[in-house]
Amino acid sequence: MTKARTDSHFHDAEVLEDLYDSKPRKLGFPVKSPSVPNFHGVLKSNNYNSSVPLFNASAVDRLQADPGYSQGGSSANSLNGDDDANLSVIDMYGGDFDSPRKEQTMKKMDTLASGKGTDHNTDRISSNTVASTIETPIRKNVGSFDRYGFRKQTTYISEGEYDIWWTEYSQYCVRRKGKWELLLEKSGLSYAGDSPTRFPARSEKLKRYVRKGIPAEWRGNAWWYFAKGDEILNKNKGLYDKLLSRIDQIKVQKNREKLYPDLEIIERDLHRTFPDNIHFQRESFQDGESTMIKSLRRVLVAFSLFNPKIGYCQSMNFLSGLLLLFLDEEKAFWMLVIITSRYLPGVHNVNLEGVNVDQGVLMLCVKEYLPEIWSYIKPFYKTQNSNRVTMVSFSSNSSMHSKGTTKNEFLYKLPPVTLCTASWFMSCFVGVTPIETTLRIWDCMFYEESNFLFKASLGILKMSEQTLNKGKLHSTSLNHHNQLRSRKVSQDESDMELFQALQTFPKKLLNPNDLFEKIIFKRRITFNNLDQEEIDRCRKFVKNQRNKYKNYIEAVDSSQYSNGRASKYDDTGHNNGNNTNTFNTSTPISDTMIQDVLSSEGYGFKKGISGVNWNNSIKERVRQIRKRKDKE
Amino acid sequence: MGNSISRRLSKLFGSREMKILMLGLDNAGKTTILYKLKLNKIKTSTPTVGFNVETVTYKNIKFNMWDVGGQERLRPLWRHYFPATSALIFVIDCSDRERFNEAKEELYSIISEKEMENVVLLVWANKQDLKGSLKPQEISNLLELDRNLKNQQWCVIGSNALTGTGLVEGLSWISNNIDK
Repeated sequence: MTKARTDSHFHDAEVLEDLYDSKPRKLGFPVKSPSVPNFHGVLKSNNYNSSVPLFNASAVDRLQADPGYSQGGSSANSLNGDDDANLSVIDMYGGDFDSPRKEQTMKKMDTLASGKGTDHNTDRISSNTVASTIETPIRKNVGSFDRYGFRKQTTYISEGEYDIWWTEYSQYCVRRKGKWELLLEKSGLSYAGDSPTRFPARSEKLKRYVRKGIPAEWRGNAWWYFAKGDEILNKNKGLYDKLLSRIDQIKVQKNREKLYPDLEIIERDLHRTFPDNIHFQRESFQDGESTMIKSLRRVLVAFSLFNPKIGYCQSMNFLSGLLLLFLDEEKAFWMLVIITSRYLPGVHNVNLEGVNVDQGVLMLCVKEYLPEIWSYIKPFYKTQNSNRVTMVSFSSNSSMHSKGTTKNEFLYKLPPVTLCTASWFMSCFVGVTPIETTLRIWDCMFYEESNFLFKASLGILKMSEQTLNKGKLHSTSLNHHNQLRSRKVSQDESDMELFQALQTFPKKLLNPNDLFEKIIFKRRITFNNLDQEEIDRCRKFVKNQRNKYKNYIEAVDSSQYSNGRASKYDDTGHNNGNNTNTFNTSTPISDTMIQDVLSSEGYGFKKGISGVNWNNSIKERVRQIRKRKDKE
Repeated sequence: MGNSISRRLSKLFGSREMKILMLGLDNAGKTTILYKLKLNKIKTSTPTVGFNVETVTYKNIKFNMWDVGGQERLRPLWRHYFPATSALIFVIDCSDRERFNEAKEELYSIISEKEMENVVLLVWANKQDLKGSLKPQEISNLLELDRNLKNQQWCVIGSNALTGTGLVEGLSWISNNIDK
């Protein structure tokens, strides 16, 4: 109990000192604690990666709180520093399986371990050799923690349930690994004992393999490879080092809290990242802060300096945290860069526009592919007496539109359910689904690009359909007939049920294959045809629509405003542009603008010839073309 | 789900349901409070990116409590949750003196929204167990609610999410004041 309390207060320098040591420290950046890396010194030796991927750390050892366990910084890799062949690594598969392949691997590992001896610290930083010790000794899956150091038990899953499932799933993992090894062998990609750094060329087969799960101990390398990490790293050699030395300078800068407000926000979240994971937990002795946390701090701060447009956004702590379990610090940093730019563009930006666009895309997909679910979650617009004109009330005033013209409003005023799904995207399912499921989604994301996040979301929504049906949001159907007041109440009630279902459902998805075998691999499920091109097109469409609405509503707002405050408007009825919004360019409410918004085209998904919606969208397009011609 | 039956029954016997929005700066302790109330358990503290929603029943009243992420950047996401809220709970980390003013500003910016005009306001002066925390009375004085809130019911209650102190008192205050 005290632990939780103190954890959440680490940012309070005083408290921290009181509780953990008496050394003076500065907020955020412990300066002279011996166990903290000295960036400058370390940098010279190119040795800053005090964090090594998770799999070098032994859950067992940490649990036993080996007093000889030393940790931290310049002794960089002391996670494995005990040099006892015995110590090392997590057993990735737990139980004793009669797999000849496995015994083979074990032998390989043994020789490796003994061969490496005491000085294997040095080579691990530079490269992927890190993973080499991963699967060494066969040990029972460690007590209450899974193979990544997360607590097995969650609010929704008991340790017993986990263990039962794991007995089976771990065998599945062993089988899959065997297949991967064969595949690599066939492709002529040899790797000596440790994790491969190169993978076969893209193919349907490889895609299937990835979807069935990359072997856990290869994940770091595989993600890095599929996301083309080397490309970006080679283009930016030394940049991470530079960022780290900038952090050093900032540490001693006056006013730094003001100049870099992200620092404090990051600091508050560090110890709240995976508090249930042993690798992120405080060491009981010594300095108190785990190596992971230090790496996490550096990655996040470096990122906030690297990309001030994003800075730090909650959820990035989870992304980085998970990356750090599989990749060394520098690579984790670049993967964060890749995720936030390629896979989730704009999602973490200050204005969160990217996440809103993606939610719009998701809603379009739901409407198209999961009409049943859509009927639960689609917004029904109440006319509000707020100053913001809803499209509903507006369209009743406007003369120039016909029925159905407001159909895209939900892209601008996103349905409430997106509050839930937005977090799925922002944190890429970390903390949304149990870890093995999340990792499988990550495997596919890196191989198949961001469209997979949409597929996974749709899959989860589809799976939750039954739950939703059971809880039957019966009120929805009554809504239309009841009087306003009771409608409001029942709407809230069904909202409540919907949200609770959507919040808890994914957390119970312990077995990734429930999602993959039953949904993702099923060809007849139409949303599986979504590809990246479609998603990109859809994103563009949504972005466009949102901009139109935005400009339009701003214009409407400011024209309303101007009734009271003439100063906002000039004679011609043009907005003077003193609106605070950055987007705003003096926009008059012209007829074209209204038309633009109200008659906006629906989105047409690519489809087989029989697709009804496709036909509709063609009709819509023909209408558009005619209109344009008429104008001419 | 026997849910609907109990719902009908509860309507008969006059149980009520209310939507409560729980806000506050990040790391104020909102989620910890929520799960202490719901499960009587301490969840390890972790930032809320989306939201948590739980139903807490107390004295025949179902409190539908919405706990939403506190980081400034995430706040626009839940702005549209303002309508139909019957009570607002604002949680303050009383040990974080440095950010007290930020919390105060945030509180005022929320209650000045039009949709918040008629809600009752409960302030949980949280983390009372920590050394150097501001006392509820101090919080109350510093917030100057008596001066600024003329038409709204409000109350500041000290709380400790870890032991649960003050939580029931808070809900009970809400249930007593919600209909005036």
